[in-house]
Amino acid sequence: MSTSSLRSFEYLESLPGTVFKRLYRQPSTALAIFRRMLPHLAKSFVMALLYHSHPLPVADLEQWVRPDSRRERDQALSLLERLHILSIVLNPNSPRAYALTNPFKQSLRLALTGGGDHQSFGVPCDTPDKHSVDVDFLDDFARAQWEGILHYMVGSTGIGMQGGEEVSQGVKKLLELGGLVEIKGRRVEITQAGFSFLLQEINAQVWTLLIFYLENAESVSDMRRFRTLDPFRSQANISVCQLNMDPVDVLSFLFMLGSLELGQDYSLTTLTPTQVKMLDDLRDFGIVYQRKSSSRRFYPTRLATTLTSDAGALRTVSAGFDNALRAGGDSKGFIVIETNYRIYAYTSSPLQIAVLALFSRLSTRYPNMVAGRISRESIRRAIQTGITSDQIISYLGTHAHPQMRKNVPVLPPTVVDQIRLWQIEGERMKATGGFLFKDFVTAEEYDNLANYADEVGVLVWRSDKRRMFFVTRHEQIAAYLRNRPKKLT
Amino acid sequence: MPKAVKGVLVQCDPSIKAIILKIDALDHDFIVEDLDDQTLVVKESKLVELKQRLEDELSNTQQMPEESGSE
Repeated sequence: MSTSSLRSFEYLESLPGTVFKRLYRQPSTALAIFRRMLPHLAKSFVMALLYHSHPLPVADLEQWVRPDSRRERDQALSLLERLHILSIVLNPNSPRAYALTNPFKQSLRLALTGGGDHQSFGVPCDTPDKHSVDVDFLDDFARAQWEGILHYMVGSTGIGMQGGEEVSQGVKKLLELGGLVEIKGRRVEITQAGFSFLLQEINAQVWTLLIFYLENAESVSDMRRFRTLDPFRSQANISVCQLNMDPVDVLSFLFMLGSLELGQDYSLTTLTPTQVKMLDDLRDFGIVYQRKSSSRRFYPTRLATTLTSDAGALRTVSAGFDNALRAGGDSKGFIVIETNYRIYAYTSSPLQIAVLALFSRLSTRYPNMVAGRISRESIRRAIQTGITSDQIISYLGTHAHPQMRKNVPVLPPTVVDQIRLWQIEGERMKATGGFLFKDFVTAEEYDNLANYADEVGVLVWRSDKRRMFFVTRHEQIAAYLRNRPKKLT
Repeated sequence: MPKAVKGVLVQCDPSIKAIILKIDALDHDFIVEDLDDQTLVVKESKLVELKQRLEDELSNTQQMPEESGSE
């Protein structure tokens, strides 16, 4: 699963159930969650239950899955419960049964079969646009805005920025609040989180930024959280958006954007005031295009329409976007790396050079290329700033020069292995946050719980001898423990 | 009733673990639970400090290979 969906998952799971209820009233949200967030098995469960009029007994549902796939089944079910899609119906006279929760069920039905006047998939403008724009224009616009943001972030690395869109105050504040850059005096310094942000694929970057945006929007409406921030920061917070933004409005708008069609103009009439206000900010990110802020129509860009694409399809979509982004002279690949660790990059883009400089030592710069080498020192430095060897390798791989692509594998294996080794060398210990369970009275109790933890996929370490085990999250275990005694008595 | 303790699971080589034990021996402020010779649980708030101390300790004892500086 890609990083972006993991991030959005974590954020979504932290929301209370009432928020989900309101979110799922929009068919576009239900559909977006369904296609973007769920693994295939979970999708099958949802589809099977969608037109069931009565709850389905737990035992029946469990029969659909082969016994050797219990782990996948439990993970799918627990995810569906965490996202408040599936709930257990408790009825004293019948066995425990699963049912889809209601706003979700209705909304997904509406989304799949049409009908209703919810207008949650956006309303295309009925009048032709006098200043209509085409897909190429939107791609150019999105690229200019997004690269402008990235330029602003790397502007601090010493390689001068040339051109690029001016970044708005709101975006600057957001990057600072998100901890991607630090502002020291008048200088902008990129942080560790910022470095690894730069190496992510573009869809993951968009989601990361949007989630900062959401958290920020919430902290404005939620005055209690102000006190936990230091006074200087909360000042900054207020100036970003003084409007009280409802997270449900913000989220459902984002999910709606994901279902819109590229190149089509949409009307503002069905948007809530919060969403209209959001358009200003989204325009700064390059996610939507409006000719001017008083315009009655907006165009989603490719950044918006790929927001909630199916995880599997995403790769091709983002590749398509990359191609569109680099539609100009310099084609997709520009990096040549040799077995002696020398690296040649045929690029003059300050952004790409700055990214390369994160993990290599560049020594020569020509008008159309830079040359340098990667070394133990440069990789270690990158790893210390929070970049992983896998990120570096995938960056090199996806941007390899066409000449390199003739080789199988594309990157010289010695270099790839060495980059990994350099990372392992620095990682003398592996740290995993979570909870240690101990003090079990009986072996049976221990076995039972440890096996359950393993099945739901949270177990990291266990010692049968000492009757202890370590898990990454404890909510399900606690719920399991609470349900347990009832069953036994 | 089993007990749950919050912390960070650290998995490492026995040699590294020996150094962690040595760091902890000063004020016993890092380790929550010593599990086996490759695993232990440390306090979440102390992880960054522990990593730093470990790095310091290792740089004192280990000689880094020289970089070949040819371009």
